[in-house]
Amino acid sequence: MHFELTEEQKYIKAAAREFAEGEFQPEVAREFDQKHEFPRAIYKKAAKLGFIGCYFDEKYSGQGLGLLENVLMEEEFCRVDSTLGSAMFAGLFGSDLILKYGTEAQKIEYLPKSAQGEWVSAGAFTEPAHGSDVTVMDTVAMRDGDEYVINGAKTMITNAPIADYAVVLCQTDPEARHKGQSLFIVKKGASGFDSNELTGKMGIRASLLGEYSFSDVRVPKEALLGEENKGFYHFMEFIDVGRINVAAQSVGMAQGALERALKYAKQREQFGRPLADFQVIQHKLADMALDIESARLLTYKAAWHVDQGKIIPKWACMAKTLATTNAMRVISEAMQIFGGYGYLADYDIERYYRDIRISAIYEGTTEIQKNVVARILLRE
Amino acid sequence: MTEIFVLTEHRQGQIRDITFEMLSKGRELAGKTNTELTAVLLGKEVKNHAKTLQDYAKRVLLVEDTQLENFNSDAYQKVLSSLIKEHKPLLTLMGHTSFGVELAPSLAVSLDTPLATDCIDLEFEGETLTVIRQMYGGKVNVKAVLRKAESYIVTVRQATFPVEKEAPMNGEIVEVPSPLSEEIAKKRFVKYVLPPPGGVDITAAEVLIGIGRGIKDGSNIPPVEELAKTLGGALACSRPIVDKGWLPNGCQVGSSGKTVKPKFYLALGISGAFQHVLGMKSSDVIIAVNKDPKAPIFGVADYAVVEDLFKIVPPLKSKIEELKR
Amino acid sequence: MDIIVCVKYVPETAEAEIKIDSTGKAIEKTGLVFDINEWDDYALEEAVLLKEKLGGTVTAITIGSEDSDAVLRKCLARGADDAIRLTDPQFEGSDGYAIAKILSKVIKNLPFSLILTGAQASDDGYATVGPILATLLGIPHATMVKKIELDDGVAKVNRELEGGLEEIAEITLPAVLAVQTGINEPRYVSIMGTRKAMKKEIKILGLADVGLSENEVGETGSWIKTEKMYVPPVEKQAEFLNGSPEEIAAKIAEILKTKGLI
Repeated sequence: MHFELTEEQKYIKAAAREFAEGEFQPEVAREFDQKHEFPRAIYKKAAKLGFIGCYFDEKYSGQGLGLLENVLMEEEFCRVDSTLGSAMFAGLFGSDLILKYGTEAQKIEYLPKSAQGEWVSAGAFTEPAHGSDVTVMDTVAMRDGDEYVINGAKTMITNAPIADYAVVLCQTDPEARHKGQSLFIVKKGASGFDSNELTGKMGIRASLLGEYSFSDVRVPKEALLGEENKGFYHFMEFIDVGRINVAAQSVGMAQGALERALKYAKQREQFGRPLADFQVIQHKLADMALDIESARLLTYKAAWHVDQGKIIPKWACMAKTLATTNAMRVISEAMQIFGGYGYLADYDIERYYRDIRISAIYEGTTEIQKNVVARILLRE
Repeated sequence: MTEIFVLTEHRQGQIRDITFEMLSKGRELAGKTNTELTAVLLGKEVKNHAKTLQDYAKRVLLVEDTQLENFNSDAYQKVLSSLIKEHKPLLTLMGHTSFGVELAPSLAVSLDTPLATDCIDLEFEGETLTVIRQMYGGKVNVKAVLRKAESYIVTVRQATFPVEKEAPMNGEIVEVPSPLSEEIAKKRFVKYVLPPPGGVDITAAEVLIGIGRGIKDGSNIPPVEELAKTLGGALACSRPIVDKGWLPNGCQVGSSGKTVKPKFYLALGISGAFQHVLGMKSSDVIIAVNKDPKAPIFGVADYAVVEDLFKIVPPLKSKIEELKR
Repeated sequence: MDIIVCVKYVPETAEAEIKIDSTGKAIEKTGLVFDINEWDDYALEEAVLLKEKLGGTVTAITIGSEDSDAVLRKCLARGADDAIRLTDPQFEGSDGYAIAKILSKVIKNLPFSLILTGAQASDDGYATVGPILATLLGIPHATMVKKIELDDGVAKVNRELEGGLEEIAEITLPAVLAVQTGINEPRYVSIMGTRKAMKKEIKILGLADVGLSENEVGETGSWIKTEKMYVPPVEKQAEFLNGSPEEIAAKIAEILKTKGLI
């Protein structure tokens, strides 16, 4: 048993922190939050320095690192800023599926541009009628000669309005439910492929949300990603990794909130002494640290398993559940410590509070995570 | 009787203020140590300077040489070495200026003479030389002693010692032949240049808003600029802002920038390194906003605000707009 | 072109609150974040930029404890080829003179055409290491350097003078140039660089390897010794404006109005 990061991991963490502190100024973050805009320039800068897609192989412009390193970077980025930090890792959402199941030609075509920050990607899975239930899709892809023809609609898609390509989960055998689903790569600009932005988001506004519509969208058969009719299973493995990423972001956001609260508690005086002198505040701080550290350990463990070649859904779901639940609590407590000021945009806790909320919803709601954990427990 | 040397700093036909500051301090030290004050003047055709210096020192040692026309630390070092070896002054003072920092350390090594740099005070306690310096950007003072020696070199901070009005000393001018026998080959002065000007003339503004490191990012400057406009004033800054390329050179206030004396100076996120303070401390009213309650800027400010500048700028702008209506 | 860059690992104090420790001769270091000295950061960047343009190598040298490996790793990650750490308990208490002596002993055995240092360090602010090092090595130097152009064995440099003026000087190489902040834009550490840096070995040398005696380093080998450290007395007591940001803004506006500036 070993609980220390390697020297290299420590320096990677430091590099991520240095970049984030240099680029994610609160005023910049507030601006992107208000404008609902993806920080493309900062994203490209991060990519050029190797922070994006670090677990891609070097021949695809990655760094050949593991998920744990990615987790460390996400944590540091989100610790410095919840809005910009989380946006950095949303940029290549969906591309992991190509990394894992793509043909060499697909990898060469899509991965380097993604890791270099030139292309932004999207993963289109959720449907308006089906939400968390992905076992059945209304979006269908029918074979027609050397092509597939896609029809249907997808919603709640990160990056939909700006993505250069999307990985789309479709029903290829409508009768076989989840055993008849396949993944396709659809490029921006394909005829009949349209996107629409979903506005009014509560948080993480520096990454855009949208929906897609497919009306007789023709893609070549080479656009099929992974095995035909195995799309659901590919997606399930992918989402486990995504869950660990969400856990990492949550740990980072919680840590950022704790640090801000600590600083404030030491500075702010009430009834003639600093807030930090009150035991009730001390206990809050201790509880927050506990929440963070336990979530961090479980998140690292889940990521470590993936790097050992074992994607274990139980750890991924547990890590996400614990990290997101704890982070929501930590950030809420941080706001409590800030009092009325915490409710104002100037102090950023308000933004953290809005940004963390989605983590208990996307990549599978907390309830879905618990379903998975329970199912595994009962089966074991 | 031994001497205290003060090295005259002059450039483009002007004796720089630091020289008179050192002569004032030197006079005090000479009195206390029972030594004589000597102004050392190196240059080419600088007899007029020698005459000026007669009022301030017991003696003016004048060395003229074409190679001394412009400051060249190699040439200066050779000449000063020879003068110090001959006169064995108890102390040689020079400015902690661009000129002094280039010259003093190598001179000290070549003479094996202890050196203290950037001193804000100095005193002999018996034969021991004690100096006061600052560390950590002026956040702490250090009292330090120099290794015992027969001669010392000290560089002093600009605008630290007041120039006292005292009776002229009518010092004698002693011309010393230049000891430079050969050409200084490895280091050559080429010319003076003014960095490209930019922005408004901050020395003419009645109201200045100075920004420092606390501004965090160039993208945060426009709201402050708006505030400056609302006040009919201009934007100034401390060194890090120019270093990062967020504002042009001409906006820099301090020893390596401009000296300003506006009616109102609002320092936002400026910690107050002495270099900056030198350039703005004569402003009529100084208000400083800084998150660190111990920031040195509060030592020169009339009003201190311990707060994040970003929280002050927006309400201040609306308040001023309200009052203007 | 082989370049040596001398760097120092210092606490970041520009925005931190500082306390004097129980010895009364140093500051409390716990809780402070350490990083490369700001001036050295520019010197490192300048060294790497020159290497990228002209080829050759960059060797980073520091004097300090094992912790200062962090600053050397940073140099390696940003483009330095080699790193040397000079560590010995006897080096403690060294002033700029003793530091320069140690550096000169090591550097004289290395190939180089140019040595870059920061013009000063943000902690002690001596601004002496570069020029002393040059003198000990018997080569010319320039300080407060804001621009470097290399051509045919000569460095043409802009030196910062007071009041916004600069001077241009020509220095024959090999030389020591002490760099002023703002000369370039230091880059971020990349992941590629970090990984490369981790594969490199940091060479560690002590007093005996350097070839100096105990008396030549540390406090005994220094010109200047700290007696005590204290918080500077306040020259002028500022009046603190308290309240909510709105209240403070109102007070400032009032002051402006009284001065007839609104």
